[in-house]
Amino acid sequence: MKKKILVVEDEEGLRLLYEEELEAEGYEVLTAQNGKEAIQKLEEGKPDLIILDIVMPVMDGMEALGRIVGKERRIPIILNTSYPGYRQDFMSWAADAYVTKSTDLGELKNKIRELLEKGKAK
Amino acid sequence: MILAGGRGERLYPLTRDRAKPAVPFGAIYRIIDFTLSNCLNSDIRRIYTLTQFKSISLHRHIQLGWNILSAPLGEFIEVIPAQQRIDEQWYRGTADAIFQNIYTLQQERPDLVLILSGDHIYKMDYRKMIGLHLEKGADLTVAAIRMDRKLSREFGVMEVDRDRRIIGFQEKPEEPKTIPEDPEGILVSMGVYAFNTEILVRRLIEDARSDSSHDFGRDVIPAMIEKDRVFAFDFRQADRGGTGYWRDVGTIDAYFEANMDLISVTPQLNLYDSQWPILTYQSPYPPAKTILAEEGRVGTAVSSMISNGCIISGGSVKRSILSPRVTIHSYVEVEDSILMEGVDVGRYVKIRRTIIDKDVHIPQGMEIGYNLDEDVKRFTVTASGIVVVPKGIRL
Repeated sequence: MKKKILVVEDEEGLRLLYEEELEAEGYEVLTAQNGKEAIQKLEEGKPDLIILDIVMPVMDGMEALGRIVGKERRIPIILNTSYPGYRQDFMSWAADAYVTKSTDLGELKNKIRELLEKGKAK
Repeated sequence: MILAGGRGERLYPLTRDRAKPAVPFGAIYRIIDFTLSNCLNSDIRRIYTLTQFKSISLHRHIQLGWNILSAPLGEFIEVIPAQQRIDEQWYRGTADAIFQNIYTLQQERPDLVLILSGDHIYKMDYRKMIGLHLEKGADLTVAAIRMDRKLSREFGVMEVDRDRRIIGFQEKPEEPKTIPEDPEGILVSMGVYAFNTEILVRRLIEDARSDSSHDFGRDVIPAMIEKDRVFAFDFRQADRGGTGYWRDVGTIDAYFEANMDLISVTPQLNLYDSQWPILTYQSPYPPAKTILAEEGRVGTAVSSMISNGCIISGGSVKRSILSPRVTIHSYVEVEDSILMEGVDVGRYVKIRRTIIDKDVHIPQGMEIGYNLDEDVKRFTVTASGIVVVPKGIRL
């Protein structure tokens, strides 16, 4: 069965890029435009992994991260942001990985594979 | 960070309308006053108090009595009700309570976090414990009190090596691990923790993301023993009273005994240490007074604590604790009892071994504590025969 990934990203262009690239990797992709939508999708879509942008309108990623961890403890979460400074935030440590955005999605894809494998091992 | 959400279910009905830290103790105090006073006397002046249910009484007390620090100097005592920012439930355990306030911790970013319980009565200089924590280069230091090994089934017992590093945790064991050089003694956790902030946050997150009861004693600390530097701190080294006094007052009987200790000639808990004041809130009532001295109608109080605003008018009070504004009318006999604020005892009433909660009027001629078979029909009566008359009851 295809693994399901929830991409939370407010920028439309990036959202489409992630969607295409990850589908090409063989994943099913759900998308959300902000943290609030992500929490709805989390309940409806039951993703296996979440990629979470931080700076977003309506509800930012750091706030959403807390709520997601409060609801669904097991789903791996990757924080995906242009701002490395958020690593200093305590709540960012609740994520399983922290990836700084880049045009090359290699690191992100590696992390996804790694975390899904780890989940399988458990 | 003071955990002040304790329900204190075994203290019912004293906890019917208030959380355990807000339960009155020693005539004029609330249980949380001891922990807050320890903080101030230890020069700790940045304090968050975490509350959840039945917190109105506690909020009011802290607002009225503890609004004494200087905000411009960065000092505060702040009460934080459950925010439900992370989880839309009540706190699931002591560790969850801190985890749910991680954004608050983030704003402060201290080097160390002291986690305390607002449920216990003791006098401790936390600076001594922090001193050991730093000296050992510890990640976590847990305050421990020595108890007799026979009591192991009531407590969480810590196994330590000769350097006081914690190497095991047993929850209410039959066969406890004793102190290395003291085979009759065990070390019991007091629920007082000094944490390096970064380790605290990381371990709380790990705990939050695992299946556990989210409790420091049951989950977080046992999980830390293997990988982190966890030490026990002997409470006796910081015990301000020097008597090893630490009480959970978890039951009505324990609560009653702890109060009665205060009216002994030399109480184990010394409230008179001017170098270690216990602060509280008190309304400005006039001094206590005793009136009437006729034949058979003498206002007296012996071996008792009598607070401001009390009037003992032609009745007698023995071995009892009276909170502010208690009125004792003529021909009354009160013995071995605790009367809380605003209690009014009508003429010819006889009371013994009874706790009367706030603002209760005892009508003329009533007897409480003399016939427990009758008392149990109306009131809570404990195994040892203490009667509790709840707040607001109409008799």
